[in-house]
Formats: sequence, C-alpha cells, structure tokens
Amino acid sequence: MRSKLFILFALLVSVSMVLAACQPQPAATPEKIVETVVVAGTPEVVVITPTPEPKPAGPKVLHLNMGPGDIPTIDPALSTDTSSVQIVDETTVGLTRQNEETTLIEPGMATSWDVVNNDDGTQTVTFHLRDDVYWVKYDGTQVSQVMDCQETPQPRKVTAQDFAYGILRTLSPKTASDYAYVLTFAIKGAADYNSGKSEDPATVGVKAIDDKTLEVTFVDQVVYNLNIIGMWVAHAQPKWLIEGDDCTEARGDRWTETGFFQGYGPFTLKEWVHDSYITLVKNPFWPGSDSVPQPKIDEVTWTMLDEAPAFADYEAGNLDSAAVPLADIDRVKADPTLSAQLKIAPDLCTYYYGFNTKAPVVDDVRVRRALSMAVDRQSLIDNVTKGNQEPAQWFARPGLAGAPTIDKYPDLGVKFDPEKAKAELQSYLDEKGLTADKLDITLMFNTSSGHQKIAEAIQQMWKDTLGVNVKLVNQEWKVYLKTIRGKDTPQIWRLGWCQDYPDANNFDREVVVPGGSANPDPEGKVGGFAWKNDKYDELVAQAAKETDPVKRTDLYAQAEQILVYEDAVMIPIYWYTRVTVTKPYVQRTFSVLGGLEHIEKWDITQQ
Amino acid sequence: MGRYIARRMIYLVVVLIVVSFITFGLMHAVPGGPFDREKALPPEIMANLESRYHLDDPLWKQYLQYLYDVFVPRITAEAPKGTLQDDYLITARVGNMWIKWMNFGPSYSSRSRTVNDIFRQQLPISAQLGTMALLVALIIGMPLGIIAALKQNTIFDYISMSVAIFGVSVPVIVLGPILIWIFGVTLKWLPPTGWGAKPPYILGFLPAHIGWDYFKFAIMPSVALGLGSSAVIARLTRASLLQTIREDYIRTARAKGLQEQLVITRHALKNSLIPVVTIVGPMFAALVTGTFVTELVFGIPGMGKYFVTSITNRDYPVIMGTILLYAVFLVIANLFVDIIYAYLDPRIRYD
Repeated sequence: MRSKLFILFALLVSVSMVLAACQPQPAATPEKIVETVVVAGTPEVVVITPTPEPKPAGPKVLHLNMGPGDIPTIDPALSTDTSSVQIVDETTVGLTRQNEETTLIEPGMATSWDVVNNDDGTQTVTFHLRDDVYWVKYDGTQVSQVMDCQETPQPRKVTAQDFAYGILRTLSPKTASDYAYVLTFAIKGAADYNSGKSEDPATVGVKAIDDKTLEVTFVDQVVYNLNIIGMWVAHAQPKWLIEGDDCTEARGDRWTETGFFQGYGPFTLKEWVHDSYITLVKNPFWPGSDSVPQPKIDEVTWTMLDEAPAFADYEAGNLDSAAVPLADIDRVKADPTLSAQLKIAPDLCTYYYGFNTKAPVVDDVRVRRALSMAVDRQSLIDNVTKGNQEPAQWFARPGLAGAPTIDKYPDLGVKFDPEKAKAELQSYLDEKGLTADKLDITLMFNTSSGHQKIAEAIQQMWKDTLGVNVKLVNQEWKVYLKTIRGKDTPQIWRLGWCQDYPDANNFDREVVVPGGSANPDPEGKVGGFAWKNDKYDELVAQAAKETDPVKRTDLYAQAEQILVYEDAVMIPIYWYTRVTVTKPYVQRTFSVLGGLEHIEKWDITQQ
Repeated sequence: MGRYIARRMIYLVVVLIVVSFITFGLMHAVPGGPFDREKALPPEIMANLESRYHLDDPLWKQYLQYLYDVFVPRITAEAPKGTLQDDYLITARVGNMWIKWMNFGPSYSSRSRTVNDIFRQQLPISAQLGTMALLVALIIGMPLGIIAALKQNTIFDYISMSVAIFGVSVPVIVLGPILIWIFGVTLKWLPPTGWGAKPPYILGFLPAHIGWDYFKFAIMPSVALGLGSSAVIARLTRASLLQTIREDYIRTARAKGLQEQLVITRHALKNSLIPVVTIVGPMFAALVTGTFVTELVFGIPGMGKYFVTSITNRDYPVIMGTILLYAVFLVIANLFVDIIYAYLDPRIRYD
C-alpha cells in the first residue's frame, strides 16, 4: 500500500516537472493584417510584420547585463577585464579611441597628432587635445562640473597634465597595476620606472607641453603605438581626487566609489551597488565628436547576473539585451520572435590547443600536424559548442588589424583533412616502427564542463581518424596555470586568447614569440610552446613596423603558416562569436572588441 | 549561565585562531596564486603586486600580521580615514581617542574594496534571505513532521513525507529555474532576479524599507532555499516525535487522564525538539552566511559566491574572512543551541 502511494506520488512529481520544463509552442509570427485589398475579384491579404513596438516616451533608460560577480574595479589604472573596461571607456575617453565595429583608430580626446620617427629608433608623437571637455560628477540629483580651488572656483578642464598623471599613476610601482605592462613595453623609460629602477617620473617619455599638448615618446616605430596610447590604462585620472588638494579630500583607491567618482566621458557614474548593478548617467557636458557622439540614451544600468537568470530577465522584459545561454540557443533559433532579435557577431578571441614541442611524441612536427588536421572544427561547432563560432585556420583572428581574412586567404593555415593527417602520422609511425595505439599522448585542460565536452569530442576525432588514444586530464584553473607554465607542462594544453588591443601583433608576437605569454621559454624549462623559429620572429617583428596594410597582412600570413602548419606548434580550434538577443526598440552597434560596447552610439525608439 | 557563555566566548577565540591557522596553511599550500592569469604577467608587474599586498614577506610574518590586524584592537588619536588600508569593521570613539578593531584586509580581485566592505554590503542580504528561508523551512517542516508522526502510516503521513522527499531530492538549481520560468517569465507575478534592499541597512543588516517591493524579490528564493531544509526538519521531527510518544512518561501522562492535546504539546513535542534544535543551529549558520547556488540562480547579491570565487581566485584575505565569518556564526549558533537545550530539558545544566 505504502510503496504504491510513493510510486504514484513520484510519478505525479515527475510529470509536473516535465510539464513545467516544457516550453510553450512558439506563438505564430506576430503578423498584423493591415488591410484587405480586393483586386479584380481575388481577395488579397496584405500582411506586414509589425514595426518594433516603440517604448513609451520619457527618459531613455537602457538595461543590460554584465555577467555574474561584481565589476572588479572601474579605476582606469587597475582595470583588467571587459566589464571594468566597459565602464572606464564610457566614463573616460583615451587620447585615441578605437571604433568598436571597424577596430580602426579614431580621434578621442586628441583631435590630431604629429608622428616623428627619431634617429635612435624611437618615435615621438605629439597629441593635440580638445579644449572643451570638463571633469564632471553626479552629485545625487544631476551631473555637474567639478570646480577647482581658486577663490572664484572655475570648472576643471581635462588637460594634458591629467593624461600625464594618469599614465604615471598606472606605471607607478605603488599602484601595482596589472596592465601597466602594455605601457612598459611601449613607452620609453616606462619599464624602468615601473620596476623601481628609476624613481624619477621625468625619465618616462610622457611630457605635458601645455594644457592641450602631450608629447609621448615610444620605444619602437610601430603602427600600434596609437592603439596602446588610447587604452584605458593611459586615460586621464583626477589627481586632486586621488591624492587630495586644497579643496578636495584624498580618496586614494576608493575614488571610484559612488559619490566620489569623477569622469569626463559621454557617461558618468551615478550609482554602483556592488555585486548588484551599476548605473551610468549621460554627461550633458560631453561636447560630442564624430567618433564619440553625445549620447542619446539618458541612463544605462548593467545588472550582474549569470547568463541563465539574465536571459530569464530578458524574456520577462526587464533587460533590453542579453547573451543567449548555450542551452537556449536551439530554442531561440526556432522561435520566430526571438530569432528575429538574435544576432551572432564575431568576438576577437581564439580558442586553441598548444603543444609542448619538447615533450615526447609531439616533439615531432608530423605528429603535431596530424593531430591538428584531424580536428573537424565545423563538426565541433555544429554539435558541441553550438554558438556559430568560426572554424579557426590560424591564430590571429580575422578582424584584428593586420590579421589575414578567410576571403583573401581561403587556404592559409590548417584545415580538417583526415587523409593528409593519416599520411603525416603514418610517416612518423613507419620511421619509429610504432603503431598508432601505442602512442602515449596527454591533453590537459582546466576543469570546466565546456572544455570537457570539447576535449572529449576532439579525443574521439583523433581516435576515429588517426587511431590515437589521447588521455584527458583536467586540473583546477589556478593549479592548471601553474602546471602549463612549469617543467611538467603536458604534451597538449588548452588556452584561449582575447585581444588587449585589436592588432595581430597582440596575438602573433605578444603570445607566441619567445618570452611571450604562451611561450615563456624556448628551452621548455618553464612550459608553454617551448619553441623558437628565427624566421617567424623576424616576420612578426617586420610586420609590426610595416605601414602598408596589404604587405603587413601578407607578413602575418607567412608567419601564421609557420606557426600553425610548417611548425604546427598549436591547434587553432575556433574563433569566438557572441550570441546576443536585443529588443527591437533598441538601435545599437555590435562591437567586435570582446563585448566592449560604445553605448553613446545607441538609441531607443520611443513613441 | 553567564560564566558558561563567557567561557564559550573564550573558546570561540581559540577556535578562530586554529581555523585561521589551518585555512592560512591550506590556501598557501595549494598551487597557484592570486595573480596567476590566463595572460601571464611579466615578473616586474608580479613583483609590484606582491609587494603591494605584502605577499613577498615570509609566510609566518604574513600570518602574524593578519592575526594582529584582525584580533588586536588599535587605540589611536587618528580618526578612521576609510581608505583601503585603514578600514576596520568596528570603530568607536572614546573621548578624543578612536578604537579600531578587525581589519580583514583588501580584496585582491575587487581592487577598490575590502573584505569588510563585502561583510557590510553582501552579508546583510544573505542574512535576510537565510533568515526567511529558515522561517519557511520551520513553518513547512515542523507541521509536516508533526502531522506525519501523529498520523503515522496514514495518508497524511505519506503525503507529508512525499513532500519532504520532494524537497530533499529537488535541488535549488532545478527548482529555481522552474519557479523563475512559471512566476517570473510566464505569469510575470514576481521579478525573476534581484533583491529588494540595498545599503545602507538599519542596524547593519535590516532592510530600510519593508513592503511588497521588498518581499516580491524574496518569495521565490526563500521558498526554493527553504524547501530543501524543511524536508530535513520534517523527517527529523517525525522520527524524533515517534520515538518520544513511545516513552514511558507519555504513557504516564495519558494514564493520568491528561488531554491528548496537552500530552502532545507539553510533553511529547517539547522533548522531541532536541534533535531538531541541534540541526537548526548549523543550518542557520549555513543559510545566513550565504548560499552559492540560490544566489546565482536568482541573481541575489549576497555573500554565497565569495565562499567559492575567493578560492578559485586565490583571493587570500577573502578566503580567510569568509571562513572565519562562517566559523563565528557556527560557534555562536551552537552556543544558542546549547542554551535552548537547557530550556527544553531542565536536566541539562552548564554551571
């Protein structure tokens, strides 16, 4: 009796859960019958899809999501991740600013600049700044200008000195900025100042000639100098607020909190409730320019939600745009309303497996090439990752300045080619007198269900195509990072790379050449690729200095061919995309800069 | 009793020092540090970061400094500046001197915040959610358990225990999205995510405004979180009550003609509560200090995720802070449990 009741109840429970989990049948396409026209006796129904329902009039408020967890910081000197940089880029503007769709460099706070190549190999760039931009803060009711300490207080303008202070603050060893390194590589004297070898800020190649002129001396005569100087770590920072002056209390590293914060970009901070949301409000004093227009939206709020709850909030109408969780992608594509709001846009990141080229078995290039060519990237994307990623043929993702594109270089790099893969491996096996199932290869990745699924799929592809049994090992993230940068670096390891600034140099040189972040030591004592190829190093060094874009891309294409095919030190797997849905009343741009949006270009359609 | 509590408080300090020692040792023994990133940092940058957070000091010095900052009150003439370095959980003014106590240090991953900020801004939210979830658990769990025990082997018993089994076996990660989908997305009765209160809090933990705007956020997470605990309470209450009503003194009470209702409430129920109270203490500590999954599913800005993310980030001060906080709540909750024992069973004496 008792057990029967239990079974009955268990059935009820499971049925109710199945019912609850079922999604409703997608509603028929919302069509409006506008008029019925009778033409020559045949009734013809004119059907149009309704134009986006506009929002009611009133202040234009945008609701977006930032991802789970608090924004680590909104201090330009300390920011490292996209969420921080998103806020920094809206509240302050660099000397140059990158177009988020074309990745081209456009004027930011500097309206023009003069480039002089010096005889000693350095480069001096003189930036001419705008004269009509003021420091502002949100005072609880509205945005107002920040006043200075004179007897009759004057509004504080953003000056070349503020930029010089910002750059030096980022570089100061006391600030301990993670991303100071992009400046230490680029600006003359910056490395010594940052490491404490020189304590005199005057040794750094940054000089404010007057209020509107800033002179920066760069180590190399390379094209991406203008990219680097526009990065968040080189934005102007308010010295009086951080260190205090006659009429301002020093706030130190807390200056970015609600109530203290001062900025000058198209938006400024209204409220930051940690772990919950951050609200920016339009800065009416931002004069606007072609590249950074005056915002049309009055207020933007980012919540800090995980993907799944954020998507629920989007469906409930509380968010205006959200990322689509992997589990919901198929449903969104099938739903007529949601699929119309769906956009899959490129993201400047590459997912790859690296080889420890000093480790047994994979120290032979034929094995590496075979493993790389045996990965069916399209099938992986269609069946496992599902986000419409693009199969990667090389490392520097198309869209980066200088990077080859599939249009122009359809056959560059490495593709799925099972026959060639088998031949490469067979040649190795014949020489060593081995069989494929005897090869001992380990693939390591950091613990995560996503990486696990990808690794299992690729493991199966290797087994099916080559007959190789590759072992999978995973480690917790920080332990994993230690392992792949130590002497026990596994034969194959996983990493991804997202742009710091969208130039192929950031991928092909800063990650890959000896000393780069994935190749710390060509001897292999501290992990990474453990690889050195003089021709490759020469090509990427040459490309960094090349000013002709076509020749430059060609140099990177040659370098990539060495990297992923001739030496095959990595398996490029896919190039990232971002899958988002946006309500139809939002007019927006789609950034390729790792999700870094320029909201000042967005608008909301109202009644 | 007063002396007993004082003695337990001294034990608390000892427990905290032992816990802090073990935690400190373990977190430094695990490979990987707070500044190991996917993008490896150059050694100079790493040196700056380590020097800023004194990670280049010998471990024993770091540990003693931590104990000194957390446990030893400072008495100075200097007013608290509220900077990252000078942020104390408890500050009080005595004459023209300031007493400053408990500096848990900065967070490495949130660079403009301290561990004390997390305690001040996130703990109140978790405490509110946890308290409501515990109330839900008690309000559902106790009656279910009592009904099941009194009507043992009847349809009431089966239904109650089925509800309990449902609560235990359906985790928040399943129940949460289902609730959100029904009440948040489809019916739009309740907001799918978020929390209805934000700093500052009354007395440091109570929401400033209480009303529908507050509770509409709290209903789904409290029910989702409380249901699992209610099942534990229901089953425990049932088992304990079943045992108690077979005791001799219940038979005696019935034999002398006492009303059944009085027998149950005054004799059986009170005596059967001891195991329930025992489990409610640690349950309270666990719920109130934050629940990772519930907060993630419902987008609640509470403490729960810091227990997890601090460890994956190797954010040493946050790891130490969250674990010590949990230890404090656990010890104090158990102290309350012991005091309630003395009320429930007069034979228990502590002096």
